[in-house]
Parts: sequence; structure tokens; C-alpha cells
Amino acid sequence: MDKFVTIIGGGLAGCEAAYQIAKQGIKVKLYEMKPEKFSEAHKNENLAEIVCSNSFKSNLHTNACGLLKEELRLLSSLLIQCADETSVPAGQALAVDREDFSKLVTQKIKENPYIEIINKEYTGEELITKKEKNKEEIIIIATGPLTSNALAENISKITGENHLYFYDAAAPIIKKDSIDMNIAFYRKPI
Amino acid sequence: MHFIGNRYEQERGKQEEIKTWRERIKYQEASYINLPMNQEEYEDFYEGLVNAEVVTLHEFEKREIFEGCMPIEIMAKRGKDTLRFGPLKPVGFTDLRTGKRPYAIVQLRQDDANATMYNLVGFQTNLKYGEQKRVLSSIPGLSNAEFVKYGVMHRNTYLNSSEVLDSTYCLKDNSAIYFAGQLTGVEGYVEAISSGMVVGLNVANRLQGKDKIIFPKETMIGALADYISTPNKKFQPMNANFGILPELEEKIKDKKVRYTTLADRAITALKGIFY
Repeated sequence: MDKFVTIIGGGLAGCEAAYQIAKQGIKVKLYEMKPEKFSEAHKNENLAEIVCSNSFKSNLHTNACGLLKEELRLLSSLLIQCADETSVPAGQALAVDREDFSKLVTQKIKENPYIEIINKEYTGEELITKKEKNKEEIIIIATGPLTSNALAENISKITGENHLYFYDAAAPIIKKDSIDMNIAFYRKPI
Repeated sequence: MHFIGNRYEQERGKQEEIKTWRERIKYQEASYINLPMNQEEYEDFYEGLVNAEVVTLHEFEKREIFEGCMPIEIMAKRGKDTLRFGPLKPVGFTDLRTGKRPYAIVQLRQDDANATMYNLVGFQTNLKYGEQKRVLSSIPGLSNAEFVKYGVMHRNTYLNSSEVLDSTYCLKDNSAIYFAGQLTGVEGYVEAISSGMVVGLNVANRLQGKDKIIFPKETMIGALADYISTPNKKFQPMNANFGILPELEEKIKDKKVRYTTLADRAITALKGIFY
């Protein structure tokens, strides 16, 4: 089959998608801008570099994130398998050794004969000219919350300016049934 | 229409008991919940807020964040009454505990179609999660509050997926383009992986002429895909949480039993699509 899929971004989502597609014998071109260019948060040249906490949260299936992990294990997720294999003791949570985890994912992706890694920044100019008739040339954009400005600009051109948000300044969200309705009352503000 | 004075007194029928009015209005205006505070309660909350610990931001985040959107703890530091004249303004409300106008009021706005989640209006914050829980629990009515999501302030580029993506994370306007990862508004590592899974399986299927895989809403992977692709004017990134799963037919009070039941239902539903 000479079909191939282009994936932009070798993070957690991009690597999982690449693996699932390659597993079914379809070629993948995986673009990763590191080590040519780094975001403000990324430091090393591995794929699936995790930049925040080293915890994948709870492993208990009575926890929402634990349930999601269990579902992903049933679906044979490469990334969760790598996390399980490189886990460090963390009680009920699944925490990983960051370095080991990223290296293992990188190794699994690199040794996959259907995946070609292209270390180059993708800025997405061709997205704008991409027409419906190219339905067979599928592209997956998985560039994360620190998507480069050039690509973000082109994404906003294809999705509409108002559909790309840049900052997350969010208020907490609370479950209604945990609010004491003996004190609270319903009312629209003026 | 501009109300002067006490809106509640104006809207209540002359002979109507507070209790009757409360029942009547319950469903009518369920999109907002209000929490009244007296002076002492407000001052306790205020002290807790201005002394709470904030998250340290990266330099690149600091530069850009505070321009458009001020965290509540910063606003509070301007003066003791700033919040009372801002997002916590009590005008037009009656504290049903006392029948008097409250000293301050916290408003919660409905956040999902089923009205199971409410966000705190004006409470965007950079406080550490533990501090948010501590400070917000001091608000009357929130002492046992369960957080679906904590407030955050950091740079985060994400799509308004609720308008532009379908539940296979495919761009509605151009079926050759898919998005995956936190760019789609799923928040967290495992959530990012789950979106990559949905996209990967769907793209592979499509190239082999097979059907789409839409995961059941009862599964967490399906509920996230459904959340990001359902129209929502207040679309915000979302973690995996039991609040986005369809409710159980029978209410279960005990949280642990409820979550176990939801989890078992999810796994059964997931296995169901392969057999």
C-alpha cells in the first residue's frame, strides 16, 4: 500500500496515533521539530517528552483517569504500555521515570518499519490549500498546547480566527450535588 | 429593564411565601446558583484568599498572561472591598438565611448541558490546587465542594473543538485534517493519549475502507471525544472525570460504589464494541 499518513508532533498523542496506524500496515511520516527547534518547555530530543509532572495520575479504576488508562490498556495503547514498563513506585498513582519513558517510546517508534521520523518544523502553509479532493492524504495535527506561532497562525486560518484560544485562564468547576443547597439559591444575576 | 432595589422582593408575588417562591423559581433560573456571605464570612474568605500560595509561572507565561485576565487573588490584593464591588457584588439578592441583603455573593454558572457542573464566576485563579480547595471551602455552601476541575492560568493553545471537530477528532470543514492531543482541549497526559488512540484507529480504519469507530459515551475515551465535539459556548479544556459520563439510571449516593458502577459500565461498553 503506498498510502501514508502525515502526523505533526511527536508527543504523547502523535506517537500513539502513529503506532496505531502503523500497526495496521499503513505508512506514517511523523514530523517532530526537535532537536532543530525546541519549545519554551521542552529540553531533550526524545519523542513523548513529558514536561510537567512525571505522574500519569491514579491507577485505580474508581478514579476517572485510572478508568481511562484501563480502557487504553484494553485498546493496546503503546504509550500506556511504555508508562507501565517504566513506572516508579508512587502508591496508587502511575508515575514514570521521565527519561526512561521517553526513551522507550522513542525506541519503539524508531524501530517500527512503517514509521519515518522527520526532524523538521512543520509550519502548515499547505493546510490552507489542502482541498477535500485530497481526502486520501490525511494529516493529523498533534502539536500540543505549545504549538509554534507560525503553525498556530495557519491553523487559525483553516478553523476560523475565533476558534483558536491562546491562554487558559479558567475558574474552578464544582459538582452541583456537592453544593449545600440549604445555603445556596438559584437566581439569575441582574 | 433595570431593577432598582431588591429584585427578589419585586419579583415575588405579594402574598407569596419565600418557600413557595423558592420552589417556583427552582427550575426556572437553575442556570445560576448563588452563595450569600455575611461580613464575617466574607472577611474569613478574604484573608484566606490573599494569603494563599500561588503557582510559580514560567517566565514566558508571566509575560503574556495577566494582560487580559486578572486572577481573583490579584484583584483581591487591591483592597478588601474590591471583590465586593466586582465579581462578588451582592446587589439585587436576598440572603434567605436572614432575609437581608448579603454582604457579598458568590455566583456559580451552569457549565454543562445536564447542569451537573457549575463554574465560579470571576474566579480564574493561579492558586495551587490544595489552596483553592482550602480557600473555596471557606465559602458558605462549599464546605464539601467536589472539584471537577481546578482553576488554572498558563499558556495553553487549544482549538474550539466544540465547533470545529467531530467525535473522531476530524475537522468538520475538511475531512482530510485531524487533530489530536491537548490542542483539541483534552487536558492531561492520559487524555492526550486517548485522543491519539481515537484518531489513530479511525484514520487506519478509513484508509482500509472500514467504518468509523465512535466510542460509547459510557466509556471515558468516548465521553471525552463527545465532550470536545459537542457545541458548548463555554468550551474549556477538560480532564477525564466521572461528571462527563451519562448519569446512572439509578442514583447511587455512596461515591465509591457509584464510581465503581460507572467504571464497570464503561469497561463493559468498551468490550461490547469489539464483540
